[in-house]
Amino acid sequence: MKATIAQYYPGSSALHRLDPRAKFVAVTALAVTLFVRDSFIGLAVFAGAGALAYGLSRVPVRWFWRAFRPLLWLVGLTFLAQLIFAPGKPFFSIGFIHLSWRGMELAAFLSLRLVVLVLIGSVLTLTTPPIALTDGLAWLGRPLRRLRVPTDELALMVTIALRFIPTLLVEMDTIMRAQRARGADFRSGGLVARARALVPVLVPLFVLSFRRADDLALAMEARCYRPGVVRTRLHPLRAGWRDAVLLVATAGVIVLALLV
Amino acid sequence: MTTSPTIVPLIDISGLQYRYPGARADALADLDLQIGKGEFVAVVGANGSGKSTLARLAGGLDKPGAAQRALACGHDLLTEAGRLAARRDVGVLFQNPENQLVAQCVEDDVAFGLENLGWAAPEIRRRVDEMLARFLLEDLRLREPHLLSGGQKQRTALAGVLAIPRRALVLDEPTAMLDPAGRREVQVAVADLHAEGLAIVYVTQEMDEVVAADRVIALERGTEVYSGSPSGLFADTALVRRLRLGLPAAGELALALGERGRGPARLPLTMDELLAHLEGSA
Amino acid sequence: MRPAGDGEPRPASAPGGAGMGLSCLGVSFCYEEGGTQLPALRDVNFELPAGGSLALLGASGAGKTTLLQVLRGLDRPDSGAVLLDGVEPDGAAYAGLQREVGLVFQAAEMQLFAATAREDVAFGPRRLGWPEADVATAVDAALDLAGLPAGDFGERHPYSLSGGEQRRLALAGVLAMRPRLLLLDEPFVSLDPGTRRDLVAVLEHLKASEITLLLATHDVDLAWSLCDQRLLLTDGCVEAAGDWDFAGAGGSLLAANRLREPFLVELWRRLGRDPGSAPRTSDEAAKALA
Repeated sequence: MKATIAQYYPGSSALHRLDPRAKFVAVTALAVTLFVRDSFIGLAVFAGAGALAYGLSRVPVRWFWRAFRPLLWLVGLTFLAQLIFAPGKPFFSIGFIHLSWRGMELAAFLSLRLVVLVLIGSVLTLTTPPIALTDGLAWLGRPLRRLRVPTDELALMVTIALRFIPTLLVEMDTIMRAQRARGADFRSGGLVARARALVPVLVPLFVLSFRRADDLALAMEARCYRPGVVRTRLHPLRAGWRDAVLLVATAGVIVLALLV
Repeated sequence: MTTSPTIVPLIDISGLQYRYPGARADALADLDLQIGKGEFVAVVGANGSGKSTLARLAGGLDKPGAAQRALACGHDLLTEAGRLAARRDVGVLFQNPENQLVAQCVEDDVAFGLENLGWAAPEIRRRVDEMLARFLLEDLRLREPHLLSGGQKQRTALAGVLAIPRRALVLDEPTAMLDPAGRREVQVAVADLHAEGLAIVYVTQEMDEVVAADRVIALERGTEVYSGSPSGLFADTALVRRLRLGLPAAGELALALGERGRGPARLPLTMDELLAHLEGSA
Repeated sequence: MRPAGDGEPRPASAPGGAGMGLSCLGVSFCYEEGGTQLPALRDVNFELPAGGSLALLGASGAGKTTLLQVLRGLDRPDSGAVLLDGVEPDGAAYAGLQREVGLVFQAAEMQLFAATAREDVAFGPRRLGWPEADVATAVDAALDLAGLPAGDFGERHPYSLSGGEQRRLALAGVLAMRPRLLLLDEPFVSLDPGTRRDLVAVLEHLKASEITLLLATHDVDLAWSLCDQRLLLTDGCVEAAGDWDFAGAGGSLLAANRLREPFLVELWRRLGRDPGSAPRTSDEAAKALA
């Protein structure tokens, strides 16, 4: 069972080779301004930039669809909510449902904005390996160390957690099967019954995880890990001229979107 | 038994005592252990005899309760600084391959130890490539851990442990959770390391792995009850029974023959030795 | 407690019920991974008569675990059928028969979850809907059978037990359901020699009480000494089935699957004797050689 949570698509495009810190800053800046600007034309600018970035990444379109599909319901819900409850002179009414042109416009805008947001965000996650992303975030969060937040240790924890997610999913499936072989039933009954049925799965999973944490800590110490000591990297973060270009281009897109 | 007086032991422990917090008895009591450079020493014993505890202490991973002398590669295990230094020189490989891999791909995991030691990136790259080649992991370089077989995971873990240049290697039942193919992969790797002169402490319950060792130490309730050759250990059937150890298959058959008065003088540990006896007496 | 399955509380079967016959007819099974269908079992055919014993051999990834889970009914085959006591999967009695098939998973101790050994072992019988008195009897009997006398171990917390004891406790949990066909997935992995011997004794006892046994293992010596028949799986296909010996073609099959010959078979071969008639245990071998 293969489960990729962070949806990384390996490649060597221009976008893959950019520094994760620059990508993260660019994506955050674009996302913030996306919500500041309230016009279709501005949205078009962002959409164009997102599509261009996506094209440059050379990631197949179906991967974007895979990242987007879980959020389809959110987009649909937003669309319907705006359609039904937005202010404006209705041209068509049934009961409490009032459809107005203004409402349709708003619905379209808000849903499209969500799509563009996912597009921009997924360019980041599809072209950046999770470990690079956490490293980048740890670096960006470095000032927090002054407030005694252990950013590097947190970044390592996140990396390790991500590494074990597929393993845990397989283990959970195996435990469920073992209990099913003893007659457990996870499908029938109401919410309470089903929650109770999960106890024979969750308890072993917890125990497994605690034991794993112990073993892992020991193995890490055996390889000279010490929290608080600065670690080097096999793949150090190295910003270059391409990242400067990205930031300048991002600034350009933002200015353009705000002006049009 | 001690090693030859001219050889300075790499691991030199005397009078070692350790008790787990809240435990009613010592896990290790007055234990002596000397491992010379290049020696391959197997450690056997029933569950709870202290084998794993010994492995951890020898690697500087736990603080001994007390000891007359506790030196690993010259570092004093009784001091914090000594233990930290021992972790550098003594590698430890554990039983569960899954619970030793921290990174999201093989090469990142092999690099982990060197990253902890602050090596520069090009040096890490060079050493990682060396380890991947040595343990036949080059094709798996970017593979995620959950897609590896048991043997592949354990080889990755071993590569990661040995990426840090070591003077001694402790293995705590490294093949217990592996299938025969994986077991052979690890055994071959360890044999190669021994041939290259690395001191090896090999904790195991697999009796055919004991046969390959220069010397075997048997533990019972935290103390050493035997130290000598593997054949000497297996010849002592009362001890083997008391410690609930098995025998290599050849030895078991020889014992059964012995019960019928056809047993050999020396206990054979391998099929070749057994055949020699059978054909000799035919 | 609400009974599981067909709504009828099932009476506890009489102790020592005869073993179940198993027929695997053209079973094929694929599982999905990353959008593609990967074949795990291809046209698997074999017969295991009631009271018989079969060792399932094969390299890692050959499909042993998948086959066991299909036989237990956790997965339905894409094609072909698993017949229990000659009954077809759509037969009315089939669901009841499936509940008499026990499956002990690899590293079975991972299924332990209750506060006491008795509670954990009682899980299966309770899910079968047995009255509490029958559950208690079955639990204590199963604990004793697995080598964990109920008096000493019944109230112990599962996690306070050693690894070997936990493995036996998990086995007890399956035995308490009084299976007539017992499937075991690599039950000897990471056990110390003493526990391994104890477990072998339990399986021999079960064999003697005529339960049908199917054991997936990579320990060829145990496969040779415990089981009458052998089945070799390679990439989901049956390469050899039945009473085949390890000599000649059998030997090269093993090598191709990275398994070695059983010790006694190799010994017989090197002694110039017929490897097909090699003894199953050291005692038998000693008798033959003396």
